[in-house]
Amino acid sequence: MPLTMNPFEKIFNYQLLARLQDSGTFLATAHERSWLKLMLTHPSAAEAFSAVTLAKLTTLLQQDEALDLHGHFVQKAGSLEAQVYHPLLRPLRRAIWHKQGITMCFLHKDGSCGAEQSGFPYRLEYSMVKREWYLLWYNFRTRAYVSTRLRKLKLLSTEPLTAELVASTLAEIGRLLESRKRSAVITVLPEYNKELSRILYAFSCFEKEVAYDPELQTYSITLTFLGNESEYVLSKLRFLGKRVRVTEGGYLIGRMRESSLKALRQYGMNTPD
Amino acid sequence: MAKESFDKEIQFLRMLVLTSGAYNRKQFAERLGISVHTFDKTLKKLKEVVSTVYQQLPEEQGQEFAESLRFNYYGSAEPMLLFLFRAKSLKDSESQRIARLLSALHEQPLTAKELLDICCTDEIADVSFPDEKTIRGDLKYLAEVGVIRKEPGPRPFRYRLENDLVHALSDDELLDLFDFVDVMSNTQLPSIQGYLLRDGLRKQLSRKAEGNESLEPFLYKYHYYSRILDEAHLFPLLSAIRYRRKVEFLYFSPRMDQSYASQNTNPLFARETEGKQETALPLKVVYDHQYGRWYLLAWHSRSDIRKYRLEGMTQLEEAEVVSEDFFEKKRQLLEDRIRYSWLIDTGRPVTIQCRFINPQADGAAHNFVKERVLLQGQWGRIVEEDECSFVFEITVNGTTEIRPWLRSFGSSCEVLSPAKLRQEMIQEWKEIAAYYESF
Repeated sequence: MPLTMNPFEKIFNYQLLARLQDSGTFLATAHERSWLKLMLTHPSAAEAFSAVTLAKLTTLLQQDEALDLHGHFVQKAGSLEAQVYHPLLRPLRRAIWHKQGITMCFLHKDGSCGAEQSGFPYRLEYSMVKREWYLLWYNFRTRAYVSTRLRKLKLLSTEPLTAELVASTLAEIGRLLESRKRSAVITVLPEYNKELSRILYAFSCFEKEVAYDPELQTYSITLTFLGNESEYVLSKLRFLGKRVRVTEGGYLIGRMRESSLKALRQYGMNTPD
Repeated sequence: MAKESFDKEIQFLRMLVLTSGAYNRKQFAERLGISVHTFDKTLKKLKEVVSTVYQQLPEEQGQEFAESLRFNYYGSAEPMLLFLFRAKSLKDSESQRIARLLSALHEQPLTAKELLDICCTDEIADVSFPDEKTIRGDLKYLAEVGVIRKEPGPRPFRYRLENDLVHALSDDELLDLFDFVDVMSNTQLPSIQGYLLRDGLRKQLSRKAEGNESLEPFLYKYHYYSRILDEAHLFPLLSAIRYRRKVEFLYFSPRMDQSYASQNTNPLFARETEGKQETALPLKVVYDHQYGRWYLLAWHSRSDIRKYRLEGMTQLEEAEVVSEDFFEKKRQLLEDRIRYSWLIDTGRPVTIQCRFINPQADGAAHNFVKERVLLQGQWGRIVEEDECSFVFEITVNGTTEIRPWLRSFGSSCEVLSPAKLRQEMIQEWKEIAAYYESF
């Protein structure tokens, strides 16, 4: 019998869940298993599991029906799915889990290894836009917090770290992240209030706060982002075009001004500067 | 009993996360098309779910509730809005009884009779003992949703918990499974079932690794986390498509000021609805990665193909079945119309040519302009290329949907043709330049 997926089943109920907390009872519905079965057909499954585990999972899900979208569901305007898994995810996630240090090198174009680097792995980050994995880590020698594409890295070894070093490194990363935070205020031009939902959706991937001035009927969005994310914020702003205007945040204002003037020059228009 | 609907909660949460903090209670209620009283009631209910799920108590005001649901990138990749799908009402006695059954089955496989005995010997003072029929009803439900299964063998049947997924795997394998589920539910669609599974696995793992805080090593950048709210409609729609059924719903175009209408018959809460009653045959569901929004493409008897945003659909009900032949004809019609849709535009196809300028910055390690065009340019292709630039050509239905994408490249993209689009782009850049003139 085909499964009717109701995402609001009573088995998912919050009180029931809370009551099962103490006994350690693990629940997985046919919905979840059929989702998993579908996902296991993705090529990344072969990279995520050893052949033995994958075979085990396939056997475990034998009785289940894979979620069937029948081509009735399509995704549009996304980035090509260049990479979903990377072989380094498994060792690096374990190093993060055990709070270990890592020694690695950057790979040159010809595949040879650069100088050894040692650092503390903080998080693995996937960009939905670039469709690629990055390691966010703290470099012990340069004392910098950096983001490096996994495909540029070769992991050489992992080392235990003292609890003190882990604590001080985490504190330092927290401090660096805080110091890199930027914010900007973006105002929606009132004539585009009808498109508010679209505009807010576009910013929903950022940390943000929205303020509304009922007298002027004006919405302003305060975005918080890290300095190195300015480029992405700018591409979003250009994406929305004349619907929005940066009203606070000198750097973004300057860049938007520059961008518009350069674009006009590209079109052969004379511009005031 | 009428099917419990979560339209109000979905609209409520969407507005809360999108407009985080913009409205006061009255403004919020007005825009949702509900009374302040209903606003308070809904907020109370959602708070109760959140505080039970996350075991933290949000403050009294809506604003602070919004705060606790706020997207905090470095905080955790926890899908905060998942709690919505845990909001299905369940009587206290029922949740106690089902929890008791499941905990007992967690220990060992049991028969209905044995389970009844367990429920009747429990020392829960304020709960009346269930009868056998109730227990059998519960077991039937639990088997239907696949949480338990009947063991093979002679009567009386034994039931066992369907938890092999965690018991057949070693700790190391379980960690791999958690990671896979985490990655796939965050990078693929649909996500809800993956998030629910992730939740169960996370609890298992944290029980084993007590005190370890680095269970969640992954972050997902530029993720539309509120997209899971609309997944609530995805499954009923997919099921309607699968069975060739029409659907009826009350539709609120996103451009309307209200996004929900109370079904309440109490004249105190009755208000004029702005929504429109629609009947349509669902043909395809589309997810738009540019905005993180969902659309339904459907056939409508009066206007052929009609497009709806899932966020505007409420009171969704299945209606009559159409013939396979009819469905197939309409589906083919839709496929033909959307062949060249950048998103969902079914307008006239037009061929666009643009010149993309390669980055000039000294030592630019890679050509990020070209990289992005190749990643996101869908079926478009590069028709000309030299050291400084390349010409990209694509045929799309209308220019409206692709325009923001072209504009997002700023001065690295110059529209060559059609001339009208080129003129429009120039005009827009002029207006944008004017915004910043005074700075």
